[in-house]
Amino acid sequence: MYKFRRGIPKWTAVFSALFLFLSISSAPQNQSILIISEQDYEKYSRVTIQSDRPLSSSVEKSDAFVFVKIRANSPFRIQRESFRSRFIKSLGWSQGSGSYTLTINTENENFSIDSFKIQNPPRLIIDIYPNRGQIPPTSETDRIRTSSQTLDPECIVIDPGHGGLEIGARGKFGTLEKDLTLAIGMKLAEIARQTRASNVVLTRDGDVDVSLEDRSAIANNNKATVFISIHVNGSYRKGAAGPETYFLSKDATDEEARRLAFLENNSETLENNIQAEDEDLIKMILWDMAQTAYLKQSSQLAEDIQDELNLLWGTRNRGIKQAPFKVLTGVACPAVLVEVAFLSNPQEERKLLTEEYQRKIAQAIYQGLAKFLRDNSR
Amino acid sequence: MDKKKLMILASLLLFLVVLVIIYVNLGGTAGPERPQFISSAQDESQSEEPKEPLTIILFFPSEHDSLLHREERDIIPESSLAQQAKIIILELLSGSQQGFLSPIPPETRLRELYITREGVAYVDFSREIMDKHLSGSSAEMSTIYSIVNSLSYNIKPIKKVFILIDGGEKKTLGGHIDLTSPFQPIYDIVAK
Repeated sequence: MYKFRRGIPKWTAVFSALFLFLSISSAPQNQSILIISEQDYEKYSRVTIQSDRPLSSSVEKSDAFVFVKIRANSPFRIQRESFRSRFIKSLGWSQGSGSYTLTINTENENFSIDSFKIQNPPRLIIDIYPNRGQIPPTSETDRIRTSSQTLDPECIVIDPGHGGLEIGARGKFGTLEKDLTLAIGMKLAEIARQTRASNVVLTRDGDVDVSLEDRSAIANNNKATVFISIHVNGSYRKGAAGPETYFLSKDATDEEARRLAFLENNSETLENNIQAEDEDLIKMILWDMAQTAYLKQSSQLAEDIQDELNLLWGTRNRGIKQAPFKVLTGVACPAVLVEVAFLSNPQEERKLLTEEYQRKIAQAIYQGLAKFLRDNSR
Repeated sequence: MDKKKLMILASLLLFLVVLVIIYVNLGGTAGPERPQFISSAQDESQSEEPKEPLTIILFFPSEHDSLLHREERDIIPESSLAQQAKIIILELLSGSQQGFLSPIPPETRLRELYITREGVAYVDFSREIMDKHLSGSSAEMSTIYSIVNSLSYNIKPIKKVFILIDGGEKKTLGGHIDLTSPFQPIYDIVAK
């Protein structure tokens, strides 16, 4: 009886020692990291919280403070980078039960916030705009300038054309456009990820249907710096050959430009009168004409990519072209559609089937893209 | 005497009724009859004097370059612009007579065509134009602009062309060019 009773604490001790040992030895590997950084831009301050696992969070403004609450099932290791900001006076950090709270103190309640998440790696971004009234740009040049200001963090959206039931063009040997665009798009993403410290997003990474509207929405939701749609051409002419790079034609945006002018002229009245349910409609109209403001930059991007493709294929005459491509109309950043070669041309089809050529094409597109980003960085 | 009086009255009434009938038949009530009058006059003028053939220009893609090429053709002029536009599309559907390429699948039918007061031509094709279409941006461009250019060039009041399929709006022919907005002609892509 006595012996039996003594046995219980003994086993408990062994188990708890074992548990302690296991938890100590495994803790450093499982602990996630949070990196907090801050940067000032002309019109706003940006606080970035980066982690190595997806963040579940809430952001709330109260007087002169912003409270950023991050839920955590296990502890985070926190890394703070030094900051110097015109708008943010201090950043405080506190730990509660199952959550962390970052307190941003501006010492001035006259500001508004915009927060969003991006992936690869997971990041929560909080933009603080002092006195929002000055923020909306009024002319096209302002809009472009604003877009180049937000080049940080850089996000490249790659759109492999077609997919799923939408097979696109079909070659003489049975090659499908959707398979080639995916192969080249994945290679381009790989090169971009290896070469730059930027966020690279693919609109699809498998053989799936993605609507044309969803493709531009992916670009806009990720606040893309550039959007590159990859296609393989098809023509009634058997002899048609060579690469072509397109940007959206002015024609397609004329109607939208008129609507934009209307909205700009009436924005004050609209802002005061918009019902909650109408807001979605307004957003839709704005997205419809998003590309209008970026045509000049898009034509530059098209030229940079076409130059590289001409070098690769040894083509000279094919310049950049404009056409009303559906996938480009709603994209709110410089955007092009690359027709890498003609699938209706059996010689080009044979080349396109080789890994080597797919990689060369991806490399050429990347070089054009890199030149554009270099020329347009601040 | 009563009988005689009645007879005279009756014949007078009959005479009046006959007079009224004659008057009506001779066109006294012109107002409500007017539309018929005009349309019959049109029929007469068409059947009486056959009009001079009209030369139109169609635009076709070619095997040799990526441009659209002109092909002249004589048609019999129609009374309305919409009818004339229909003839142009039917001629385009029948293909080139000079060896140019056909930009529209041969199974395609023209379902309807109408022109709005603002100068937008709505051209409604059967679904073969989409289902049997050769996919690819260049193929879509040559199909669309051979239609748009052929209509706008020959019928000046047409400023824009909206392509409908099976009676409704479609997004694209094969995933490239936007069909949800009307097209304006592009003459840069026509061979000199």
